[in-house]
Amino acid sequence: MMFKKDLSLLVLILVVGTIVAIINPRFLSPINIANTANLIGLFGMFSIGMGFVIITGGIELSVGSMFALLGVIFIDLLVNYEMNWPLAMLLMVLAGTALGWLHGYLVTEMRLQPFVVTLCGLLIYRGIARYYTNDGTAGFAFGMNFPALEWLTTGRAFGLIPHSFIVFILLALVMGIVLHKSVFGRYLFAVGKNEEAARYSGIRTHRIITAAYVISGALCGLSAIYLAMYTRSISPASHGSFYELYAIAAAVLGGCSLRGGEGSVLGIVLGAILLQVLQNLVNLLGIPSSLNFAVIGGVILIGVLADQQIVRRRAQLKLAKT
Amino acid sequence: MALLELASISKHFGAIQAVNDVSLSLEAGEVTGLMGDNGAGKSTLVKMIAGNFRPSHGAMRLEGTELVMHRPVDARRHGIEIVHQDLALCDNLTAAANVFLGRELRVGVGPFRILDYASMYKRAGQIFAELKSETRPRDLVKQMSGGQRQAVAIARTMLSKAKIVLMDEPTAAISVRQVAEVLNLIRHLRDQGLAVVLISHRMPDVFSVADRVIVMRRGRKVADKKIADSSPEEVTGLITGAIERA
Repeated sequence: MMFKKDLSLLVLILVVGTIVAIINPRFLSPINIANTANLIGLFGMFSIGMGFVIITGGIELSVGSMFALLGVIFIDLLVNYEMNWPLAMLLMVLAGTALGWLHGYLVTEMRLQPFVVTLCGLLIYRGIARYYTNDGTAGFAFGMNFPALEWLTTGRAFGLIPHSFIVFILLALVMGIVLHKSVFGRYLFAVGKNEEAARYSGIRTHRIITAAYVISGALCGLSAIYLAMYTRSISPASHGSFYELYAIAAAVLGGCSLRGGEGSVLGIVLGAILLQVLQNLVNLLGIPSSLNFAVIGGVILIGVLADQQIVRRRAQLKLAKT
Repeated sequence: MALLELASISKHFGAIQAVNDVSLSLEAGEVTGLMGDNGAGKSTLVKMIAGNFRPSHGAMRLEGTELVMHRPVDARRHGIEIVHQDLALCDNLTAAANVFLGRELRVGVGPFRILDYASMYKRAGQIFAELKSETRPRDLVKQMSGGQRQAVAIARTMLSKAKIVLMDEPTAAISVRQVAEVLNLIRHLRDQGLAVVLISHRMPDVFSVADRVIVMRRGRKVADKKIADSSPEEVTGLITGAIERA
């Protein structure tokens, strides 16, 4: 069942890709593919975390603001405090983890709605980020270099495969095992569908839900560094805004139900790929870039509608057989 | 010796006396029907046995030893399982996953242990075969009939080698054919030597499967007798209060 959904998404990606490639062969040029892969990696990393939260029946809206806040702090630590970068990186991942834990705590122990908690996070972190730099742009001074950090984040294996993409795939493999093969993953699905049943089965549901937010927070912390190194300058008023919606779109396209209890890591990966292919399509086909969001929204809507029709048709066929 | 003994159990919530001085005993290999109108105290009584509530007064003894429970997990550890009315199952998981929910089998070393799907499917299949249920371990629960869902819920109790199974309205909201299926499951549990408590509003079910019936009214036990010595008319009278006590 899950697999079929992933398969139809893969087919959609291939169809869209083929059409774009026929109209504009540059789509398949190594440079374009490498650039797209880089974006897939950057946007995919935190989409996985978003998927985990969505599977618990929650939502994480503060992702983009977290990128702005952690990004300006990260650059500040490197530039003004001259902290060594592995430590700064570790601190940012820990900070993301802490914020994720806070969200999980507010959702489970304080019984606030995930939407409200993370919407407040969205506003608060964005505000702090802007205050932190006095609304100025944080960036590296001219000639400032961090070779090892740059290799790790924006480097390319064999001069072609972006490291961000490799990290994304490795993360996807690990998180795939966590979600589909571990007891924790099984509990995530259980909690997302029927928290009460899970609690009666002796599952510590609050811990499981909080863990989903913590994982999302940690992945956001990591993504914040990759995004900061990709843009190299951060204007806190706009950096990362709407990125949470990319993640939600990837997760939902990938079969995560906003009602919780459904989703797969493979689906999220494919969803992230499709989104970036669509972005790329807008650029390559000469569609005005102002229409960017409209195209993505349209394709997602059509995809979800088609999927629903197929599911309904299949259910009817099944019913007719019995 | 009784398997479970309740001695003068009472429970009040503030000024409300939900259960008042109830004593009863459960025997292994016996099905006890627990009947009463809404608000008669059945659920509160069962929740005390299941470890959800602690009694305000009185004592519980399991196989002769004092039983003190703080949360439902404690009850489960003592071999007391509850099958809930709303069927505490996760629709999005397979039958096997639900059977093993909360006590999954795993393979691997140290902290790197993954779900042992094969063993869980196999064991769940064995349990369903034992229960003579057609439920398949790999099917999603959301695609199942009410009877099959009950089989999954009951299989959960078999997995843990329970001594006492409390069933809350297991035959509500399912079709007639499936009711028969569920009653067979209950008989099967009894034949294995379990004590089964069947909470039900359905008189025919209680009279077809139970060995003994306990009737509650306004927090008190008003009857506790063998099914053979009672009749549906008498029990109805006891529930409504037309008959004071039997």
